Amino acid sequence: MMAIATLYHGEPNGPSLTVIAALLEKQVEADFVRIDLAAGERHSMQCEHGAEIDMSIEGEGPVLVVDGEAMADSVFLAVYLDDVGTGPALRPADPYKRWETMMWCRQIIERVAPAAAFLGTRAHLAGKLGALNEGQFEAITSRIRSADLRVRWEKIRAGDYPADQVADSQTKIAQAAQKVEARLADGREWLMEEFTIADLETYAWLAGMAVDLPDLFADTPLTIAWLARVKARPSVERALSLASHGDPRTSWAPGPEINRWG
Amino acid sequence: MADTVTLYHWEPNANSGKPMLTLAEKGVAFESHYLDLLQFDQHRPEYLAINPQGTIPAMTHGSLVLTESTAMMEYVDEAFAGPRLMPADARDAWRVRWWMKFMDQWLAPSFSMIGWSIFIGPSVRQRDPAELEAAIERIPLPERRVAWRKAIYNQFSAEEMAESNRRVAIGITMLEDALSKRAWLGSDEYSLADINGFNLAYALPLSQPHLSSDEKTPHIMEWLRKIYERPATKAIWAMGRTDMVKRVTILEREPA
Repeated sequence: MMAIATLYHGEPNGPSLTVIAALLEKQVEADFVRIDLAAGERHSMQCEHGAEIDMSIEGEGPVLVVDGEAMADSVFLAVYLDDVGTGPALRPADPYKRWETMMWCRQIIERVAPAAAFLGTRAHLAGKLGALNEGQFEAITSRIRSADLRVRWEKIRAGDYPADQVADSQTKIAQAAQKVEARLADGREWLMEEFTIADLETYAWLAGMAVDLPDLFADTPLTIAWLARVKARPSVERALSLASHGDPRTSWAPGPEINRWG
Repeated sequence: MADTVTLYHWEPNANSGKPMLTLAEKGVAFESHYLDLLQFDQHRPEYLAINPQGTIPAMTHGSLVLTESTAMMEYVDEAFAGPRLMPADARDAWRVRWWMKFMDQWLAPSFSMIGWSIFIGPSVRQRDPAELEAAIERIPLPERRVAWRKAIYNQFSAEEMAESNRRVAIGITMLEDALSKRAWLGSDEYSLADINGFNLAYALPLSQPHLSSDEKTPHIMEWLRKIYERPATKAIWAMGRTDMVKRVTILEREPA
């Protein structure tokens, strides 16, 4: 059995939701420490950490500390928890189905997460950051070691959301909803038939989009029903109950960058 | 045969080289189907029938079709006998995956942008413009169309090239640091992260001599040479056809 872990997490949405729920599914014992990712608190944590946290391309995600080692990136934290925990497996045993699961997650990480974080921060964080004075904002960004992550914070504060990127991000969300819909067309309950990390990670990024942009989900009844099924899982329900205020699906912090090269 | 492995690949370099080297390390024989990236073979109907996205590499194993080089490497490691290429320890495995994602999504795109501006673009630019336009139009993914257009017409902005160079410099520092802490990248055993990293960095001392050399990055240099000396690496890099890939011989140790 692993040593006691500490999970530093934000509001239960996006990457924090994936990891909190995976931890509960796998019955891994851990101390939960809430940090405000949208206030840059990942950059002022007391725990020791290295480049894996500072340069995590996920952006503002949760941090799991095990035996003094700080680990990041929600899908790989979930894989780690799947390896060490005792609950039911969160990845199929068959190598090809496992490939499908990791492939699916990779496409969510690369295409959906940047789009969702872009649209989510536009709707729910830009105004808050815009209301900070220079000194308050500097206090956050001066601690961020990744220059490109710092630029993402600055763009959010400046309300720099070019129309073509908004449209492209909405297209990616709509495509993701369609992709889930197609996957569920054969009547399966979960994306990989059995419940996996792919369900958690996909839900984590899409749930808030379905709240903010219902039009993109107008033709995807199976996807809507699947979102409700994921939400009703005890692990997800409990994760969502950790919200410090309001609907966690409207809590967003700066996420991964939008692909800058093909 | 039902279990035949066929790999559709370009040069042992970047994404193509990842499953090639993984298969060789596992001792899995595969049918090699070479696609010439510079002739746009990957966007021809025969290949799109296998991988509609038109990205290289793709692999078939019996009736199964696999794409995405890093996920493919994990499949090869799990589906076949042979030496384990993912550490058994869960935290080591997390580190291996962290590095692969960091390289795939942050560092490699910057190397790639530089490589495409100095190698891919100039290699195809002089061809008939109408033929090139038609070739671009056949690319299925919009992102790849943008990339090819930039490479062919040399539309890289000074700003994005500077950003790529900044990332390459940071990435090299991070690699050197990681390799000074552990025997291999991410763990103390040879793993998929090393295979991934070698494909990205084998020509580093030639392409970035001001940042990577025996003096500046001794751990990276030793790491590259150790991988180069493995029989699997020798066998796979011998399959290369371009001068780009033959640069790997800079990793020969000088005669004692």
